[in-house]
Amino acid sequence: MWKTRRAEAEGKPKQPRTAIRPLRLSRDRTYWRETFEAYWYLLPAFLVLGAFVFYPFFSAFKLSLFKWNSLTPPGDFIGFENYRYIFHDKYFWKDMWHTFYYVGITIPVTLTLAILVATLLNKGLRALAFARTSFFLSYISPIVAMVMVWRWMYNTDYGLINYFLSLFHIDAVAWLNDPHYALPAVIILSVWHYVGYQAIILLAGMQNIEQQYYDAAKVDGATGFQTWWSVTVPLLSPQIFFVFIISLIGSFKVFTEVYVLFNGPGPLRSAETLVYYIIRSAGRIDTATNHTGRAAAASVVLFGIIFLFTIIQLTLTQKRVHYD
Amino acid sequence: MRGLGQEQSLVTTRTESYYVARRRAYRVFLYVIMFAGCAIMLFPFFWMVTTSFKTELEAMRMPPQWIPGKWLWQNYPAALARAPFGRYFFNSFFISILSTIGEVFTTILAAYAFAKMKFFGKNFLFALLLGTMMIPGEMLLVPNYVTLVRLNWFDHYQGLIIPWLASVFGIFLLRQFFRSLPDELWDSARIDGCRRFRYLWTVIVPLSKPAILTVALLKFLGSWNAFQWVLLMTNTQSMRTIPVGLLTFSSDIGTEYQLLMAASVVAIVPILILFFFTQKQFIQGVARTGIK
Repeated sequence: MWKTRRAEAEGKPKQPRTAIRPLRLSRDRTYWRETFEAYWYLLPAFLVLGAFVFYPFFSAFKLSLFKWNSLTPPGDFIGFENYRYIFHDKYFWKDMWHTFYYVGITIPVTLTLAILVATLLNKGLRALAFARTSFFLSYISPIVAMVMVWRWMYNTDYGLINYFLSLFHIDAVAWLNDPHYALPAVIILSVWHYVGYQAIILLAGMQNIEQQYYDAAKVDGATGFQTWWSVTVPLLSPQIFFVFIISLIGSFKVFTEVYVLFNGPGPLRSAETLVYYIIRSAGRIDTATNHTGRAAAASVVLFGIIFLFTIIQLTLTQKRVHYD
Repeated sequence: MRGLGQEQSLVTTRTESYYVARRRAYRVFLYVIMFAGCAIMLFPFFWMVTTSFKTELEAMRMPPQWIPGKWLWQNYPAALARAPFGRYFFNSFFISILSTIGEVFTTILAAYAFAKMKFFGKNFLFALLLGTMMIPGEMLLVPNYVTLVRLNWFDHYQGLIIPWLASVFGIFLLRQFFRSLPDELWDSARIDGCRRFRYLWTVIVPLSKPAILTVALLKFLGSWNAFQWVLLMTNTQSMRTIPVGLLTFSSDIGTEYQLLMAASVVAIVPILILFFFTQKQFIQGVARTGIK
């Protein structure tokens, strides 16, 4: 089709069909010239992606089958020994549990709050710009700097959180020193950090919902809540689902919040996560453990989890979510 | 009979002014919630800034002293003198600016090819690109670390910049925008004898400024805030950026939280300035990530 159109655009007469078309490969020369040119355009991006995404992706699988204690020698092939090791490692399962615990609480809480915030900001109140900015500020600020403030607020003796709790006659909590409160501390901080980001995406989605649906609801005599529940939420479901999956995948990779908040894995490694495990095994946090292969094996497990959720996303977006 | 009377009085009292009052009360309620939410979100910032101006004693006071007795500006130079923050700043700016420029360049080229050119293997390459969205960056840390060491880029600027010079997300975003531009532009440019490469930079790019700015902003933000990669791919203090430097600083200063807060404020300010000048693109850029 396009070939004919192009020929017309260039003012060439249509070529008569002939029996012999040597070396045409079913497409004409301009096509191959354009292909050649397009590859030059793609080259820079694909060079970088090739070296730092595609190659390491396969390399991770390969490395997970080798015994490596330092970087220079290639190491010995040991099959699935690294996997066997990490699956028998108590800390691997603990870290896995911490990660799921973190994800399982952070995501529902943040998402619920974000939907409420977006609804509120969509009410046509004044000072919207101010509100939007205040909710957004936590997301754009460098996370390390933000964690520093939280570290200060979580301080057992001089921290503000415990001060506020004392106003309600709640005893001081050793947020950063008590293994039971280490993960909750990370969760509260993460909810605060990401709620604005999610709310902004959802707000944009809400503003995209056409007025006609609300008019129809009004004609039917729906109350405010009914409208919200049966118009806004269903029509927003693509964005809600998108935010849900993106945040889910993102939270499985939690590391920075933990590492900066505790300057380590938390008391008794109580806040250590899966990515923390990977980085620790690679010998980049304490140099005593330096098992590149084990780190690679744990990376492959992380990939497996995220891959699973991506597949779920792909299948569900095609079926369940409403697109109007 | 009395019941009926009550009903009647209900009907008569609910005049229009009743509904106006009710709506107004509801609005007030919404405003209260909204400002309470804003207060919670902004509170850590408030606490960071006020703490940064206090004396050590004031910072530790319980119940807390909300506003410093005297605003100690000297906390700032004092904090910055305690660690090589000049170097950290230079590194952060240098890395963020170079990787932003580089990424915008590679992204424009690739996005244009995918949006407007017809070539062999286009669908395959695009699917490949889509596929990378499933790969968590953390999975690549270990092999990339090995690569950087082998290339001798470990603890060098190359290792902090070059691996980040392409962004799949940026390519998607720009491709989407480029596709919305009419093909007639190219036809007329071609009649005027314009080469495609020049056409891209002189026609397409100026037309796509908002989208390109969005890509650049998100990149700069990500680059400035990057922590994990810099932490793992550098060893020496002179290669560290602001976020990693801040962490080292925090373990060096012990309990002098006013200094830590001052340094944190300094780390945030460049992003805040950038944000306030480009708020619209910034927010739209993030919002657009959710609209397919």
